[in-house]
Amino acid sequence: MEIDMEFISSDALRDMDEKKKIDFIIRRIKKGKIIVIEEGLSSSEEAKLIEETMKQIDEKFPGIEISSLRDGGSEGIRDKLIRLLGGRTSGLTVIGPSRLVKKIRRGRHKIMLKAEKR
Amino acid sequence: MPWRRFVNWIRKIFSRRRVIRLGLYGPPNAGKTTLANKIAIDWTGEPVGRVSEVPHETREVQKKERVVVQVGNKKLIMNLLDMPGIATKIDYEEFMKYGLSKKEAQKRAKEATRGVIEAIKWLENVDTALVVMDSTKDPYTQVNITIIGNLEARDIPVIIVANKIDLKDAKPELIREAFPQHPVVEISGLTGKNIDLLYEAIAKYSR
Repeated sequence: MEIDMEFISSDALRDMDEKKKIDFIIRRIKKGKIIVIEEGLSSSEEAKLIEETMKQIDEKFPGIEISSLRDGGSEGIRDKLIRLLGGRTSGLTVIGPSRLVKKIRRGRHKIMLKAEKR
Repeated sequence: MPWRRFVNWIRKIFSRRRVIRLGLYGPPNAGKTTLANKIAIDWTGEPVGRVSEVPHETREVQKKERVVVQVGNKKLIMNLLDMPGIATKIDYEEFMKYGLSKKEAQKRAKEATRGVIEAIKWLENVDTALVVMDSTKDPYTQVNITIIGNLEARDIPVIIVANKIDLKDAKPELIREAFPQHPVVEISGLTGKNIDLLYEAIAKYSR
């Protein structure tokens, strides 16, 4: 049993706008990869990711499992300002195809994931 | 958003009785339609929509307009907006476990994906949101966090409804712990327990 994981530095996403970032993520998930990104997604990015996932759902791709940690738990003014100035905020996002990720649980400061290949 | 607050403030000045667009948000099967029906039946005598144990029964926004609720000496006029449940996955095979044929299940899944998109788009158009959670389940899910994060970003008042407290396994205290920044009302949409507390919260926090 093999599970393909990709760890992505926040630098890799820094110059992408919201649409490019979402496309980048979904492309990898549809290839059956679990990806770990070195930053938390904003609420708006999370909503866009859900919307785009819904548009692409079909018989082979029933969706995603996602969990995202942001510094301090929620996106405050500080985070928004840092992003606006092109800086990077700390956090972590784990996303995988729902057919592969059986369970994803989030604590205040950690994400627990259970994956199983059918 | 200060602009939104300003617009609401102007509206309040010029209309003595504003209609509150009350959106019911949450994951599938949290009891949103049961709660919307409870409110609508209490004050209009008619339900909002059909309830089912099969997830994603509500696949488009269901509305009940001008529901007049009396809270103490205050009268609230609300448009109830019962949203489709928000999810990150919709697998038609799950529906087949409830006895649906493959064709029916795939149709339901397709409609459900459209419903999720519609619910997200409606985030722009509610004045106050009830985020309905099942008290027997882990509240700290990405769907709940994403819904609340998006409402906060738009400065929309959030009231968290810890639903299904009539069930033995209900742990509404976990919901309070997970979202201490918002008011939490523990209710049973099914039995109506504490529903008056919810009306009071809507009267207190709505803008």
